[in-house]
Amino acid sequence: MELLEIKNLTKSFDNKNILEDINLKISSGKIIGLLGKNGAGKTTLIKLINDLLTKTEGEILIKGKNIGVESKKVISYLPERTYLNKQMKVSEVIDYFKDFYDNFDADKARKLLKDLGLDVNQKISKMSKGMQEKVGLVLVMSRNADLYILDEPLGGVDPATRDYILDTILSNFNENASVIISTHLISDIERILDEVIFIDKGKIILQSDADKLRKKEKLSIDEIFRRMFKCS
Amino acid sequence: MFIKLLKYDLKYMIKNMSVFYILSLFFAITTRLLFSLNETVMIKIISQISVGCMFAMIANTLINTIMRSWIRFRDSIYKDEAYLTHTLPVTKNDIYNSKFIQTLIFFIISFVVIIISLFITYYTKERWMMLKDYIGMITTGLDFNTTIFVISFITIIFLEIFNAIQCGFLGIILGYKKNNNKIGFSVVFGFVAYLLSQSMVLLLVFIVGLFDSSIMSLFENNILLDVHSFKILVILSIVLYIFIIGLMSIICKKEFNKGVNIE
Repeated sequence: MELLEIKNLTKSFDNKNILEDINLKISSGKIIGLLGKNGAGKTTLIKLINDLLTKTEGEILIKGKNIGVESKKVISYLPERTYLNKQMKVSEVIDYFKDFYDNFDADKARKLLKDLGLDVNQKISKMSKGMQEKVGLVLVMSRNADLYILDEPLGGVDPATRDYILDTILSNFNENASVIISTHLISDIERILDEVIFIDKGKIILQSDADKLRKKEKLSIDEIFRRMFKCS
Repeated sequence: MFIKLLKYDLKYMIKNMSVFYILSLFFAITTRLLFSLNETVMIKIISQISVGCMFAMIANTLINTIMRSWIRFRDSIYKDEAYLTHTLPVTKNDIYNSKFIQTLIFFIISFVVIIISLFITYYTKERWMMLKDYIGMITTGLDFNTTIFVISFITIIFLEIFNAIQCGFLGIILGYKKNNNKIGFSVVFGFVAYLLSQSMVLLLVFIVGLFDSSIMSLFENNILLDVHSFKILVILSIVLYIFIIGLMSIICKKEFNKGVNIE
């Protein structure tokens, strides 16, 4: 059974198709790059998988089941924006995650926060955007989930921290889990990708093994992306 | 999971409402102390300012209970926090029920704080007797038990305001279904829902009136209600409001369960 299976998925806003007839299968144990230009439909697809948008047509299955309470137990999602209650302290957010997610490892979260030099007693509202994003990533990666979905996880952090984050992603998900990373910063994540999905104008135009694609095109994923999506 | 959701919703409200509760009680106690001092011109001026502050805080308590309930509902279900709310392993019914119960609990607490503040400020044995006599006069005329009359009166006001809050929830749910001008639509839909709920109460009273001529007289002439009809109307109002709040809750949950579209 596939970890994630999407069948004929369409999402429309005001009679305009934002996503059109998406078909996708993702198995366990892979790091997948969801790559596309701004407005290509990456975030819309991710939001649909996470029950933040209602689909117009089609089906999304997580381990063979529709999106619901059970799928939310196994998906760990990092949105593109800071989403934590700003009135809370980091330690309170840790307690919050511990309360709701059985697979959340609070000790691991505290350790990762310490590594990143973040104070658990600090209020979210007193943190910079970059710090809030780091807290978000730590919380998400501290879950023992089956599917991690990271929407622009590197967007607001400095280049020095990006490597640490990528290493955190690599070292903190188990072999049976998969990670979907949506980003524009392809060169930064290229080294960790097993598979790539190119999305454009609401359609998946390519899904391939990253190494096979590199060999076939004799170019890096970043270069393939740039060539494929070159603005005329 | 519902209890956990409720715990965090209540925590949010405590953080935001406690300041109004503390200030209401603080100004009530201050006013009371000032009333007990010798009546100099300056004390009178300060007392009046304190009374003004106490009433301002009471008004703030009531307004904030309503507004904060709506804001909490909107923020955790449709704004940035929604990214967390909707990815928690909980049902949409649990999310709605938690907001509903949280609002109910804080509405009761606010109500009690307001009553206590007024009691602290104005209670004297003479005033209490005067109030009792006044209510006694009304209830004797209406052939009503005083305690039941007071409880019924408070219950009707409580249900009426709670109904308005829930109409606001429905307005937010429907408003956020629109892609543009969500706040505008939320206000319009909320207002329409409130008007519809009030019209429904009126319609149901009319239907009861078809079987009870004394109730129908409300629609036919301007003669004051007799004792029997007044009692029926009080009971009917409470039953109808509970029915409409329940119905509105079902509609809210049905619409909410259709899913959300978070920007």
